[in-house]
Amino acid sequence: MTDAQTDRDSVVKSVSAIKSGPRALRLYMDVCAKCGTCAEVCPVYYGKPEAKYNPANRSDLIRTLFKRHNTLSGKLLGGLAGAKDFDQAEFEAWRDIFYSCTACRRCAQFCPFGIDNSVITRKARTILDGLGRTPATLQRVIKASLETRNTDGASAVAFKAAIAFIEEEMRDEHGVDIKIPVDVVGAEYFYLPPSGDALVNIEATMGVAKVFHVLGMGDKWTMSSHCFDGANYGLFTGNDAQMKAANKACVDEAKRLGVKFLLMGECGHAHRVMKAMMVSGMWWGELPFQVINCMEWTADQIRAGRLQFDKSKNPQSVTYHDPCNFAKSCGIVEAPRVILRAACLDYREMTPSGAENWCCGGGGGLAAMSELREFRMTVSGVKKHEQIKSTGAAFVATACANCKRQLAQLMEHHKARVTVGGVHDMLSRAILVDGKAAERKCYEE
Amino acid sequence: MSRTAFLIGGIFPYLAATVFLIGVVSRLRAWRRVPQPGLMTVYPTKGSGMAELAKEALFFPSLFRGDRTLWLLSWSFHVALALALIGHLRVVTALLDRGLATVGVSSSGIAAMSAIAGGGAGIVLLVTVMTLLARRLLVARVREVSTPPDFLALLLLIAVITTGNVMRFGGTHFGLAETRVWAVSLLTFSPVVPANPAFLLHAFFAELTILYVAFSKLMHFGGFFFTVALAKRSQP
Repeated sequence: MTDAQTDRDSVVKSVSAIKSGPRALRLYMDVCAKCGTCAEVCPVYYGKPEAKYNPANRSDLIRTLFKRHNTLSGKLLGGLAGAKDFDQAEFEAWRDIFYSCTACRRCAQFCPFGIDNSVITRKARTILDGLGRTPATLQRVIKASLETRNTDGASAVAFKAAIAFIEEEMRDEHGVDIKIPVDVVGAEYFYLPPSGDALVNIEATMGVAKVFHVLGMGDKWTMSSHCFDGANYGLFTGNDAQMKAANKACVDEAKRLGVKFLLMGECGHAHRVMKAMMVSGMWWGELPFQVINCMEWTADQIRAGRLQFDKSKNPQSVTYHDPCNFAKSCGIVEAPRVILRAACLDYREMTPSGAENWCCGGGGGLAAMSELREFRMTVSGVKKHEQIKSTGAAFVATACANCKRQLAQLMEHHKARVTVGGVHDMLSRAILVDGKAAERKCYEE
Repeated sequence: MSRTAFLIGGIFPYLAATVFLIGVVSRLRAWRRVPQPGLMTVYPTKGSGMAELAKEALFFPSLFRGDRTLWLLSWSFHVALALALIGHLRVVTALLDRGLATVGVSSSGIAAMSAIAGGGAGIVLLVTVMTLLARRLLVARVREVSTPPDFLALLLLIAVITTGNVMRFGGTHFGLAETRVWAVSLLTFSPVVPANPAFLLHAFFAELTILYVAFSKLMHFGGFFFTVALAKRSQP
């Protein structure tokens, strides 16, 4: 069999499998009215209104094929019934097209039928992955993640060194020992950030450590030296087996540690996979622990009046970018705002904000693809740049490593003097430990 | 009764009704059978399911937030369609008339209401559906996603609505009384088909549309409840 035949058979078989579910995807094959609302609200189409970036067109690549092979009218009438057979030349463009969707789900919020084009995008990526066509950059991330259990490919030794460094920083800042427990079996909370928050952008982890310290719970939590990354790129490549394998490793570690709470970090897709997909889908049956997010947890402490702040430590204007996976998929909108309002002098909102916020332009794994930088800067990130600019904010806080990367590049691209960081970063700079906020070194210009 | 008229008024109605019922029921059953593992929730939602589903079905709030112009077109089209369908029910049942009479509406009052609501609906339907067609042809983001079935659905609707309006507003008025006679003949399986051309054309295009529903995106009248329920549901 030639490669082309293999592609055809595999694609047709996989698209036809939609017949047996999942239900949402099955419905999406039938009910789209082609009304154009998705294009109106899509960050990619906003950046460049071209037919290939129109969400309904992108989804139609799958839909037409499904109709051609699985409906009577499609088989008999072809194009007249909105059906179209597999076309190798068109298939060669699939990777570019389906990796130009940020899977932000904004279309689903405004579609009169609630059609979620990201589900169709992910299905197409699953097909591409099965044929070895996942972009090489993402394949490398997946490989590192499966081999080392973190997307940065860091070792346990490197992690422990990073933790020691963070503890040292906190001692410098506050003159007291603020511990980050590692590998403590029997702790109550297992903190699972994106690995970047432990290795590179360390302030978020500092913030979480300070909250536990102030609450007198410094010995009630732990991190894990061989499971310190909640990131799960199988969500982006559409590979369910890899997504579940990476997820199981984290769940098994939480079980081994015997914790009551799995405290997810500032990583939208990690939280979504863990909570909205794994827990609600009962992937591993009943769990001995609850999944919560560190922002919700900290916000609860602030609401209860257990944390105090010196807002003057964050004098600059701060805005919050809602990561799509937190806001649109998990409904976590208020918690980060509770933290930022408590810790910052001048907090301001983007328009729109909350669940209907616009994607940073790097969702769906795109932020990790260096080859798409030009696209992210000049197409998918256009709206976000406009939004941030019109707030006049000097600092954009967000709760997602991919959003941070995209936003930082976007600000650099537009030569905007705007700094990008995390939510607990701002908390870390202003929280009072023994009555005093951090004597901070300057982390940014 | 010419042979064509008999086909349109005496044969196709049974065919269209049968295909519609079997087609729609089998489509709904196929959708129901397919499992949905995990949640699809799209916020903002209160996760309440039914209440939000009803709100979406009655007022299209998501579309309202997404595209105000389309909302106006789409919502008025569907409201007018609902009015028109309610009016058509009077062909086969006197419930509505009796209900109105019970609350004291006179028969000339009912006729006036029919003229205002039904006539108004016919005009709103025509205006909105023509505008939807113009939009599909003129607005780039809609034109570039449009395929033959999208135009077919609109053209069928335009044909049905136009002929319906001709029946009401045209030279030889064909009204409820005449239609009731035909409906009774159909329901007693002894069809007697009137020769009014506007009626025959209206029936013909309506039958084509009804035949087409189960094979087309018009199925969104049922699919809507599945997809919106999935988007709004926040508990497994």
